[in-house]
Amino acid sequence: MSTGVKFAIIGFSFAMLIISLLIGLWAKRKVKSAKEYFGSTGLFGPLSVGLSSTAAVASAFALVGVPGIIYSTGNAMNFWMLSSAAFAMAYIILGKKVRAMSEIGEVASLGDISDLRFNNNKIIKGLMSVIIFLGCIAYLAAQIKAGSELFNNLLGWSPIVTGLIIFGILTVYTAISGEVGGLMTQAFQGFVMVVAGIIIIASFFIITGGFENVLEVVSNAGTVTSGDISKTFSPGFLDAWGILPRSTAMAWVIIPILGTVGQPQVLTRMYALKDPKDMPKLGLYAGLAHMIVGFFALVVAYGALYLVGSGEIAPLAVADNAIFAYADYLGLYAQLFVYAAVLAAAMSSASMFLTLSGNIIARDLPSALGKDFKSEEKQMKVAKITIFAIGMLSILFSLTSAEMVAILGTFGWGTLMSGTFPVFIIGLLWKRANSKGVIAGLGLSLALNVAFLLGMSWPGALPWYVNVITISILATVFVSLFTEEDISDEKVELVLDL
Amino acid sequence: MNIKDLRTPIIIAIAILWAAITVLGWYGMYMPGLYLGVVLMMLHLVLGVSIKNKVSKKFLIYPIIPWAVIWVVSFYLSDKYSAMFQGMMPTFTILGFHPSFSWTIILYWIGGVLTLTLGFVLLKDEWLSEKDWKEFKGKVKKIEQKEKGGQQS
Repeated sequence: MSTGVKFAIIGFSFAMLIISLLIGLWAKRKVKSAKEYFGSTGLFGPLSVGLSSTAAVASAFALVGVPGIIYSTGNAMNFWMLSSAAFAMAYIILGKKVRAMSEIGEVASLGDISDLRFNNNKIIKGLMSVIIFLGCIAYLAAQIKAGSELFNNLLGWSPIVTGLIIFGILTVYTAISGEVGGLMTQAFQGFVMVVAGIIIIASFFIITGGFENVLEVVSNAGTVTSGDISKTFSPGFLDAWGILPRSTAMAWVIIPILGTVGQPQVLTRMYALKDPKDMPKLGLYAGLAHMIVGFFALVVAYGALYLVGSGEIAPLAVADNAIFAYADYLGLYAQLFVYAAVLAAAMSSASMFLTLSGNIIARDLPSALGKDFKSEEKQMKVAKITIFAIGMLSILFSLTSAEMVAILGTFGWGTLMSGTFPVFIIGLLWKRANSKGVIAGLGLSLALNVAFLLGMSWPGALPWYVNVITISILATVFVSLFTEEDISDEKVELVLDL
Repeated sequence: MNIKDLRTPIIIAIAILWAAITVLGWYGMYMPGLYLGVVLMMLHLVLGVSIKNKVSKKFLIYPIIPWAVIWVVSFYLSDKYSAMFQGMMPTFTILGFHPSFSWTIILYWIGGVLTLTLGFVLLKDEWLSEKDWKEFKGKVKKIEQKEKGGQQS
């Protein structure tokens, strides 16, 4: 890559970073209360919430890791990336109930909803906060690592320097403007991802001539070798299941589709929406944006397979480089947008998980331990310091503890589902769900997540977290069933009836 | 359709379905797992769309039932064509894709959005109407006024 191209990529990516900073600083003006700072509650319309939701859900993993997995193992991962209907499903299942919770009490975090639903039960709030925090930190560390390594690979800059510049700026604007700035910058970053997606999708057809040519190359290429690196193709690569065990493909249908409703980045956006009757529009905008981003990942993987299979580029030493190898082959315009899109994906998810972690440490966990702040100003001040501290510690941690980040990297989507399903999905869809059941579900979820961290393994080819989610749901439902109902608030009953 | 007495059985069914899908996954029985997965999602949708325990028949007829049928057909066709062309280049393509994967694109991806996402927009009032929302807010206000009155007296 020439020096000129490198500078163009840096310029384009840093322009996006600066625009994000300016949006974040401007957003500060909209923050007038703790409810707005922590939750953006009832502040935004469906377009900005939709774009921000897509951007927060589609992390750097979606644009870098997913094409790498498809390049290595075929189509199974596409079930995950083509799960665009999941947003509508999530909003149909829980949208009106989560939004209605913000009408019956002060809602600025997921812990607030847990308080309202389960009579201020501190154990539920504490357990849920710890599980969500684990998932958030895992995601946050992975985004910082991905964003920093992007420029490390490109320019040879030290990851620490790059991480401190990019994520230091992100930490500053997130701490200053909270969820309001987070949501607005994510909407902008989501827009960048959509534009990049449209350009790369169009270029795919120009380069390959269409999907039929990719199928022909992948079916007939056999083994391609360059130096020490080989890539073996087979016709089964591009059937629906790919070459992984088919139970994995099954999990990659059920977990993203149903799991979207249990992601904090989707749940918190339900109460950020100004008018709950706009929820269907929100589903449409988020779904359409996700369709473009999902197809973007698919064509990148297919493009890399086509280029390697047809001998245009050498087999990849690292599968995760599929997106960069493809962009480099396409040339400057693709490189500009691809690098900016990957950075946007990393930044949007990082800011989301940074505010979520900050909310948990500064608001939900102290409250679960019985320490509530006397004034909103004090609470926001503490939150700003906390977000800044978590941001900086995460940068240092993710760039100096590679092994721990890799272990934590297995936490994320599934861990977050196991922490939210007992409280939100079972809790808001079923009046009989009670504190004892939810504590049992969350307690087992936390124990099994930690057990996995310590090396516990599960039978079969399913991703481990499917087992944890199932056990957590079974415990919540059956313990609730055999113990007494404990709803005592008429307003909560009204929400559950909605 | 009133689901007042069905709500608890549906939740129990959801828990059992999660267990069944997990066990099927352990033993590599992915097709029954996928079909049960659609039933699992459908039960969540039925609970989510209900208002005061009443499920809109219109919303069931479209989008929920067509969505479920489309996805079941999608998985069936994907598996059928995967078996048909196992270990060989397919003899035809659909939209340029492997026939097995084409159903993921046409039915799972686009079909899913055209049913659930579009149906949600078209039948939004069956999910939450202006009247339902105003009624909910009115009742909340009344309870809050009653609570304030109780505190003052």
